[in-house]
Amino acid sequence: MSLTKQTPPLRDVLYAFSLAKETPDAELLEEFARKYPEHASELTDLAIDIIIDVGSSEDVAVTNAVEPCFSPGVSRAMSRFQNRLFEVKRTEAAGPNGRRAQPASVENPFAVLDRTGFRALVKGLQANSLFVARLRDREIDVNTMSDGFRQRVANELSTPLDVVVAHFAAVAQIPPEQFYKADEKPAVKRKCSFEEAVRTSGLTEEQQQYLLGL
Amino acid sequence: MARALTKTDQNGALYTRPAMVEAAIDVAFEQDLDTLGRRAWLSDSDDSEFLPLECLVHLVREARRSYDDKAMNTLMPPLLARCEMILKSTIPHNAFPNTEQIREDILGDFSLLFVKDGSDEHPNELDYYECRFHRAFRFFRIGFLRRERALLQPLDPLPPSEVGSNSNDEEAFARVPQAFRSQSTQFGKVLQKDLVRAIDNLPPDERKAVVLRHVLGLKEESDDPSAITAATLSGVTGRTVRNRLTSAAKKLSQFK
Repeated sequence: MSLTKQTPPLRDVLYAFSLAKETPDAELLEEFARKYPEHASELTDLAIDIIIDVGSSEDVAVTNAVEPCFSPGVSRAMSRFQNRLFEVKRTEAAGPNGRRAQPASVENPFAVLDRTGFRALVKGLQANSLFVARLRDREIDVNTMSDGFRQRVANELSTPLDVVVAHFAAVAQIPPEQFYKADEKPAVKRKCSFEEAVRTSGLTEEQQQYLLGL
Repeated sequence: MARALTKTDQNGALYTRPAMVEAAIDVAFEQDLDTLGRRAWLSDSDDSEFLPLECLVHLVREARRSYDDKAMNTLMPPLLARCEMILKSTIPHNAFPNTEQIREDILGDFSLLFVKDGSDEHPNELDYYECRFHRAFRFFRIGFLRRERALLQPLDPLPPSEVGSNSNDEEAFARVPQAFRSQSTQFGKVLQKDLVRAIDNLPPDERKAVVLRHVLGLKEESDDPSAITAATLSGVTGRTVRNRLTSAAKKLSQFK
């Protein structure tokens, strides 16, 4: 096993230096130059650029005097952003390891589960059928789920985390191939928070504590 | 609670958002998109509805990661508009022959960080912007401007000094430290900006020598081989540093 210290990428070192103080001083430059002697020259150049930049910047009061607006520059930057995003999405959707399908048909990793697989997932998550059905049907706000819980679901489904997150983030819907007891297909509901779902799904106190602790 | 950051600092510790930013994100999570969209455009930090840029970056990242196009299209324009304000105040309109284009290119390049965010190539660069947006964006802007300047000759070189070469170097540099203090009282603001600009327009080696020696206060050189000095950071001898300072002093002699 190699014990050689791994130097972080130059860009990370320079970001760290830039974030450390509003204006770099001799002490900070010396600290970083000693820690990363291979990057001392770039750190010195950055320190000088920041010092000059701070010395020549306009007053903050002047900056705040202008309200932001949807200028032609912002419009063109947005257009560039949207175009690149579109290309990336298309690549992701088309590639063999694509992260997701098009927004209108976000992959539902629960759709491949038969009843046995569904029960196994319920058991693996230490939850109950109602709670897992709410996950399947995208009824729970992904932003309120802990990272640990998302990862746990991804592990149980043997599915990449970003696919699971994309599923939870998509519009709530009831997949037509899924099973439900009523004669009519249930209506799509407003998404609830993760904690709300845990509290209102008939889970035991022990199950609730486990899920909220992930 | 917001997703934890994954970047680590030079000591190996995870970066964390300031408490103020965490609190702002928690509040934002409880608000609908219309409210957030309205708040995102506010630029007055004294406004009780003001949304810190660090928080706004977090919200756009979350929208990107969850493929929430509506949220992204609502929050990205105000984020870019506020960045454009920063660029207008930090890149004077006469700094480059194509300043408008440069500002626009910086904005466009910055927006692409959000496209790449979470990829193998750029998994978490935006973490820095959730910690201290202005300092991270300053680094981004400076890097871009450095590349741009490398393509150009100095636009506004100082005229040859009218003072002879026998001027005293220390006198020429006497006002330099004062010019870089943010709260200058005795030193006129106009003169302060002129001196900073004059230093910025020096040849790179002379500019470096002046800032290292007279702004940061480093020694020109040292007998101690482990000492960090202007000479070691410049990769030259102390004599070369002194020569560069002498040359710079002639150019800055009008500020005595």
